[in-house]
Amino acid sequence: MAAILVVDDELEVGEAIQRVLERAGFTVVVANSADGALQALEGHQPDIVVTDVIMPKVHGLELIRIVRGQYPRVRVVAISGGGSFGPLAYKPDAISTHAYLAGAREAGADEVLTKPFDMGDLLATIRRLLPN
Amino acid sequence: MDRLINSLRVRLIGVVLVIHAALVPLLYLGVSVIIQEGYAELFVNSVRSFSRLTADELEASGEQEFEQRAAALLDGAMLTGQVVFSEITDGQRKLHSSLAIDIAPVPRADDFDFGDHGDQVYYITHRVKRGDRSIMLRLGFDEGPTLERIIGAKRRLLLAVLTFTLVSIAVSVWLSAVIARPMVRLQEAAKRVAGGDVHAHLEMNSSIREVKDLTHHLESMREKLVGANEQLANEIREREVSERKRLDLERQLLHRERIATIGTLAGGVAHEFNNILTPILLYSQVALDDTPPDSAVAKDLTRIVAAAHRARSLVSRILTFSRQMDVPQTSIFPLRPTVEEALALLRAIVPANIDIVFDPLEDDSTISGDASLIHQVVINLCTNGYQSMRRTGGTLAVRLRVAENPTVTQLDPGKYAMLEVSDSGHGMDPVVMAHIFEPFFTTRGVGEGTGLGLSVVHGIVTSMDGSITVESDIGRGTTFRVYLPLASSTREEIS
Repeated sequence: MAAILVVDDELEVGEAIQRVLERAGFTVVVANSADGALQALEGHQPDIVVTDVIMPKVHGLELIRIVRGQYPRVRVVAISGGGSFGPLAYKPDAISTHAYLAGAREAGADEVLTKPFDMGDLLATIRRLLPN
Repeated sequence: MDRLINSLRVRLIGVVLVIHAALVPLLYLGVSVIIQEGYAELFVNSVRSFSRLTADELEASGEQEFEQRAAALLDGAMLTGQVVFSEITDGQRKLHSSLAIDIAPVPRADDFDFGDHGDQVYYITHRVKRGDRSIMLRLGFDEGPTLERIIGAKRRLLLAVLTFTLVSIAVSVWLSAVIARPMVRLQEAAKRVAGGDVHAHLEMNSSIREVKDLTHHLESMREKLVGANEQLANEIREREVSERKRLDLERQLLHRERIATIGTLAGGVAHEFNNILTPILLYSQVALDDTPPDSAVAKDLTRIVAAAHRARSLVSRILTFSRQMDVPQTSIFPLRPTVEEALALLRAIVPANIDIVFDPLEDDSTISGDASLIHQVVINLCTNGYQSMRRTGGTLAVRLRVAENPTVTQLDPGKYAMLEVSDSGHGMDPVVMAHIFEPFFTTRGVGEGTGLGLSVVHGIVTSMDGSITVESDIGRGTTFRVYLPLASSTREEIS
């Protein structure tokens, strides 16, 4: 089964994602900072990294760039909780979730998710990134 | 006595000349006679010497001094009391000045007794009151004027007096016409000016140059006063206006800062809430998945999930509305869901006694612009509406229609989306209605409502090439209609 590294400075968020993914049969490691994530990556390379964007010290966008550069095989899902703006096609301002997620895509994220997301959305996103 | 002396002078009282009656005995002699013969001077001198003495002194000292001579030269026919007599001579003629002091009251007679009382001696007697006594003054002279001279003098005198009186009257009438009456008018005008009517003209028709000049100077003074007054009033008004503007700007700035702070705060809070909502949503969905679908627990968990979804939606709306409108993001968007979003937020804040009814008939209309500005329009119009019903409660009706060639000024013919917001509140009078779109106009206290105001709504609508109308009935409510050009018709025009 695929291995997933979950990175979020909010412990409860990381654990909840871990709960959902483990229940679905994935092997999950949780890190609560970008530094912790880089250490975990050196040990065992996961298939997917799910990372928060706004984190202290090393920013989520920086982590995505490093993963993209050093571990090109690893897929990345960026998550952010600045807020969702519904189904309409108008753009939020510069500090919004959309801007962060757009930045994450630019940095190399394969998928983006807006917090709070549904269990179904999370699993569907993960499965889209896995082969077969 | 003083009166007698003074009477020798001609006095001007007001504009009328008065000749004192005491002058009359001298005038009886004829003016030329008096001047030639020095009678006046002699008479006056004797009267002056008498006047220096008080009644008591005269009585006490006079008696001793003059009594001896009085026996020889006493003219007993005139006097019933003590007589003090003095003789004055100018070298050629003997003139007698007799001062008669009546101890007993003298019966009231003419002030002037003119007549022959002895050999070649003529007297003019004048009676005055001194203290509580009557005193007779007598001027005697040896050679009196002849009767003819006296009669002639009397006539001349009468003629002179008559002429003089007529001239006096004429002069006073003339002076009154030339000076007094215009002066009165000038005074009345001056009073009006002093009373605050600074525009009362100070004019006076007079042929006298000085009076004309005076009027001219007063009038130019008044004009300068009026000018200075107006300038001062203008300055005060300007200062008041600029002060009000400054206060408004200050208030606006404060409000903007507050809004910006709220926005930042809301952004932070929303981020936190989303982090909190993530585990709530995920754990409840996991638990729901592990629970038999028909169980009570499953129902409870479904409610938790639904509540978390609502919370997510609310947070996203708060974020939407808290952000600044600095950079409008233009896109083509459907009007209905945009209005619905704004109404969803409003439902969370309006009091329970107010119903929000949404009636979207034309749901496929799209418009071009920044959707968040439409949020502002809806929020501001609805806030305005519900605040007018806050106490009484009521219905806030929001309708969407398509209007073709609406009869609204400043609108080109074409298809428009019409957003109508009606309240059943207290309504507005025409005076208030005439000002509602003006910046900073409010009937509410500072800080109430969104603070962005109807002027912002007006600005937004105008910037989108739309128009806004208002109808209001006192006690029945107010209806705003916003007309916005439909995006489809815009596209047609372009293609």
